Parts: sequence; C-alpha cells; structure tokens
Amino acid sequence: MAKKFTFDYDLIVIGSGPGGSVAATMAAKDGKRVAIIESSVFGGESPNYSDIPTKALLHAANLFDEARHGDRFGLRSSTLGYNYPSLRAWKELAVTRTGTGGNRKYYENQGIDTFIGLAHFLSPNEISVNRRHLSASNFLIATGATWTIPEIPGLDKIKYLTPRTILETLRPPKSLMIIGGGDTGIEIAQLMAIFGTKVYIAEQASHLLPHHDSEIGELMQRVLSEQKGVTAVTHSRVLSVEKDGLQKRVTISRGGTEKSIKVDEVLVAAGRSPMVDLGLENAGVKFTANGIAVNDHLQTNVKHIYAAGGVLGRNSHTHSALMESQVAASNIFDKTKVTPNYKAMTEIIFTNPGIATVGLSEYDCLKHDLPINKAIAPLNIIARSNTSDFRDGFVKIITDKNGIILGASVVAPHAAEIIHELSLAIKHDMTAYQVAETPHAFLSWSEAVRVAAAKLS
Amino acid sequence: MTLSVDVIKRGGQRQSEQFMRDKLHTSIVATCLSVRVPTGQAESIAHSVCEAVIAWLQQHPEVTSQDIRIVATKHLRIQHPEAAYLYEQNRITI
Repeated sequence: MAKKFTFDYDLIVIGSGPGGSVAATMAAKDGKRVAIIESSVFGGESPNYSDIPTKALLHAANLFDEARHGDRFGLRSSTLGYNYPSLRAWKELAVTRTGTGGNRKYYENQGIDTFIGLAHFLSPNEISVNRRHLSASNFLIATGATWTIPEIPGLDKIKYLTPRTILETLRPPKSLMIIGGGDTGIEIAQLMAIFGTKVYIAEQASHLLPHHDSEIGELMQRVLSEQKGVTAVTHSRVLSVEKDGLQKRVTISRGGTEKSIKVDEVLVAAGRSPMVDLGLENAGVKFTANGIAVNDHLQTNVKHIYAAGGVLGRNSHTHSALMESQVAASNIFDKTKVTPNYKAMTEIIFTNPGIATVGLSEYDCLKHDLPINKAIAPLNIIARSNTSDFRDGFVKIITDKNGIILGASVVAPHAAEIIHELSLAIKHDMTAYQVAETPHAFLSWSEAVRVAAAKLS
Repeated sequence: MTLSVDVIKRGGQRQSEQFMRDKLHTSIVATCLSVRVPTGQAESIAHSVCEAVIAWLQQHPEVTSQDIRIVATKHLRIQHPEAAYLYEQNRITI
C-alpha cells in the first residue's frame, strides 16, 4: 500500500488579499484544515492601501469639484474649502468600515490559522514563516503585486512617492510629477489636481491610458488638461531625477529634446510586478519576474501548488482575483476542474468622467485579425448631457460581423454602473440589436448605450 | 548589526547552520579568481554581492543554501556574467 503522508494543513494560502481570502474561506467551510499567511496587513492591498482609500478620497474630491463648479447652475460656492486631515480621517473610516482591512479575527472565527510574516518555501510541501515550519498538501499563492520602481538614474537617491504612500502625505504637494499615465496614475492625477496640486504626467506611449483604445486616453488628456490644468507629457522618457534644493528636478526626453521640470514630489506609478520572492525555486515552481506560470485551472507546474490574483502577472483587479481564488479553491479539492472565465471582465477607472471597459478593445480585435463593426455614441447627443451640463464622454461598442457584442467602452459619469449592462450582453453573446431594442429610460446616461447599439443594429 | 539567519542545507539533509558572510565572501572571491578576475576586483565584487545578499536576508530569517546561491548569482551576474555562470553551476562552491 502506498505510504500516506501527513501534513499540518490541507491548504496553506499565502496572501490574504482577494486572491487568497475566498479560497481560504471556502476550504474552511468545507471542513478542511486551512492556514493563511499575510506579510503585511490582513485583507491585502485593495482594502488597506489602494482601491478603498483611493476611491474614498476620489468620492470626496469629486463632490468638492462638482460643488466648486456649481455657479453655472446658480449655486454659490465661492467660500467652499477642504480640510485635508479630515479628508484623511474620512479615508481611514472608509477603510475600517469595509471590514476586510486588518480582518485577522474574521479568519480565526472560521477556524483558519493565521500567521503574520513572509512565507518562504523550503521544499514543495513545506514553508517557513518566522522560522516556524508549516506543511500542507496544497498551497495557493496569492501574494499579489507591488509597484515597480523603474531604473531611472537618481530615483534611488530621492524620496519618491508611490500610489500607496501618497495617500499618507500630510497635505497635497504643490506640484507633482507622475511617472506613468496608466489607470492609477490618472486617478491620482485627478485627485491631486482637484486639491490644487499642479500635476505633470510623464508617459512613454503616445497617449495616456496606453492599455485602452486611443479615444479614451486622448479624451482624458484633454479633460485633465482643460479642466484640471494637468500637463501630460506623452511620447516621453524620464532620463533622470535629482534633488534641487527642497524640490526635485525631473529630466525628460521627448522627440530628441531634453526638458527639465522642477516639482515638489515625484510619484512612481509605472506598473506593478508580481511578488514572487518566496523561495519558489525550492518548491520547483516555474516562474519569471513577470509572474507565476499556471495552466487553465490556475495550477502551477507543481500539481499541488496553485496561484491566483496579481502574482500571475496578468492585468489583475480585485474582482478578477476574487474569481480566480474561487476557481483555485474549487480545483484544489474537486475532481472536476473549472476554468476562470475572463470574457466579461470589466476594468474601471474612477475618474470623472468615469472610464469602464469590458471584453475586447479595438486594438485586441486588430491584433487577432477579427473582422468587426464599431459605433461610438458621444454623450452630448443624449438628453441627460443637457440637463447635467456634461458633454465629455462616449459609449463605444464593438461587434463581430453577426452583430454579437465583443467589447465596449464607456466614458461617462457613473460609467462603472453603466458598463454592467454591456458586460451581461457580452457574457451571454447578445447582439447589439438586442441591446438596442431594450428600453432605456429617458434622461439616464445609459441612453448612450442604446444609441451606440442602435447604430450597429 | 548582527544578522541571524538559519540556512537549511541540501533540503534539510544536512544540519542547518547560521549564515556566515565570510563563507559567502570567500566562495565569491574563489569563483572570480577562477575566471581570472584580478584579486582586488574579486574582493570588490564579493563585497558588493555579500551586501546585496545580506540586504535580501534582512526579510528572510530562514532560507535554504539554494536561495543564497540564487540571490548571489543574480547580483554576481550584473558584475561578472562569466563568474556568475561558474558560481551557478558549481553546487559545491558554497
């Protein structure tokens, strides 16, 4: 008879963020012996340092901005101001209220053993946490990703900010250079600009938000520039950063010419790198600096080790990590293997106007040589645009030749809510005609969806 | 500042020991000298590699000897790729 090995746990989850928490909870509810290890604060990056605090501040900032520009509606707002320490207190309240931030007790109440410390594989079935050895028959790696610090000369010699540390500053800086014009860079640019910071954005690509269709980046660049005074320096490369008195001097190369910009603070938001420094070599897990390699079932090359979330090196979001965690937990303990379905996965940027995308972008379709039809409905053709006096935005829908919706982008107020109609349509292979014939309420922003869909019907 | 790191050797088949900087330094110097790096440069390379490994170890109280080899190789490769190759391949260097 084959020898049966015994382990301390049935499952050890490394990382308590969205990629790990669901799997740990599901396994514990199923009666498995589970441990969860967290190197920082329980709950991970999203509730403690990124999504929740940023969105709490953005909500307050947008309220302030709306009110400040209310004079066109007859509102008097000349005496309106803000108190930054109070705003920070509001942010902290939002983090505490989520219940997921620092939620060690939550796991313990479910019978999950919790450990704080860096996990390090010693062998395929054993890890070390603060010199304590733990073994398990299965592992889920959900360590997430951390902000990448680009190799820019002089950057290591100055005190720079990251999207995590900028939220802890005592007051908004007078001027700020953001290196990287991606999702987070844009959100922070708008946030800080509303509070009076002169913001510069350095982006290597030809437009902001380079991972989205060009219309979105170009529109946001115009909105940020015209309404918030943000200077976006696209097509540019940061050559060096150096200290200049109390300020920092950033040297940028653009079109062969060099330009220096003096700012109070530098924010590095140039993408994220998976956290793979956990002794994966000792476990024999294949990985690169770009992430851990997994199959369709989120299983690594070592069959009892799975991975989910940002550590995979894909464009990960909290909602996609939650789904992957659920899939991984199911695949670890069930014989029937399931595959995560990313088809209708939304991406949302909480600016004003908001940006939401789902499915394939036009660039994705071009890359895969897919024959498509597309239609754009500008916001200013719908009635709500008139009553809200808001014109910057559009809804773009992409279909295949049979009219089935492949992808969509919404740039509009409440884009995060509007997009889910299109997400549902994509998930269930609906056609633009079916969306267009669905009644959309007069004076809702979603009317733009109907207009765009009708153009493709 | 004293660094207390346990090094698990050969997957636990041999007794664990405390991390010794001198031992790492000597092995890096020996590797560099094997690829005809001048002694002074070998000492300098070994010093910077040891510093990088120690910086990494600050966060890791318990590692395997393989981990140290991997991290040392990563930093050695920046300074001298040929020595790094030799160091990576020679399992008995440490």
